Amino acid sequence: MAIDKRFIGREYGPYTYTIGAEKLREFTLAVGGAHPAAGTPGEPPEHVSPLLYDDTAAKQGPYGDLIAFPSFAVVFAIRPFGAAVADPELGVNLLMLVHGEQELEFLDVMRPGDVMTTTGRIENIYVKAGKEFVVVNTESRNQRGDVVVKGVWTGVVRA
Amino acid sequence: MARTFQVGDTFTHVRECDLYRPIYYAGASGDFNPIHIDPEVGKVAGLDGVILQGLCTLGWAVEAVAVFVGDPGRIRKVKARFSRPVRPEDVVTFEGKVTAIEADRLTTEVTATNQRGEAVLKGAVVEASIG
Repeated sequence: MAIDKRFIGREYGPYTYTIGAEKLREFTLAVGGAHPAAGTPGEPPEHVSPLLYDDTAAKQGPYGDLIAFPSFAVVFAIRPFGAAVADPELGVNLLMLVHGEQELEFLDVMRPGDVMTTTGRIENIYVKAGKEFVVVNTESRNQRGDVVVKGVWTGVVRA
Repeated sequence: MARTFQVGDTFTHVRECDLYRPIYYAGASGDFNPIHIDPEVGKVAGLDGVILQGLCTLGWAVEAVAVFVGDPGRIRKVKARFSRPVRPEDVVTFEGKVTAIEADRLTTEVTATNQRGEAVLKGAVVEASIG
């Protein structure tokens, strides 16, 4: 059953998320390849920048504080996309849903304490090669109202 | 020390999806979709076991460029299509090439292939600020 195109334009959010230092470290090190254990996110592999996990190095670095690994943004910015594909009115079979494409634009770095507010909108719904596509655009602003992250999220429902 | 970049510069970054990486990434990202953590659900979904979150693979492409430019805070844009799942114990090789430098913006195209030479990302482009 095709997803009804009349849901194009439907909006989700705003959703608010406060960035915490330990969460940044956990994310950085999970992507980076560390092995977390109780009480620690794990030892940083050599290729991971200290600006992402080492308070002292980060405070002396170009941003004056820890910064988020760029794709940390997905932790909060995914929310409108998640809400859209779980929207009972759309009727997406989540078991058959895969992530088709992703685009993220970063207009600034993110630091601990930043309060991010994300809104999203279903930009497109279409069928291609027998699969259904749902495209959600998101915009995340910090506590000063500046747009920091823009996202384009494409979900594909396998036939 | 300012580093200079040129169109045509290349870089390589290799990452292994170790056995529990999808679970570690689930914990850190909040993406607990059962297809990433439960092999039985993965089978029911026709995926032959768990698959790594595509956004983790995307993160590795970002990491490849962040290491190349020397500062993760300089990443400005990433886009990619997820063409094939990454599974535990896959080794993904990211090969990047600088395709454009305009003002203070560097554009790279990044390929990501598994140990069988199959592309796991397609059309991956990462941009970084070098100003």
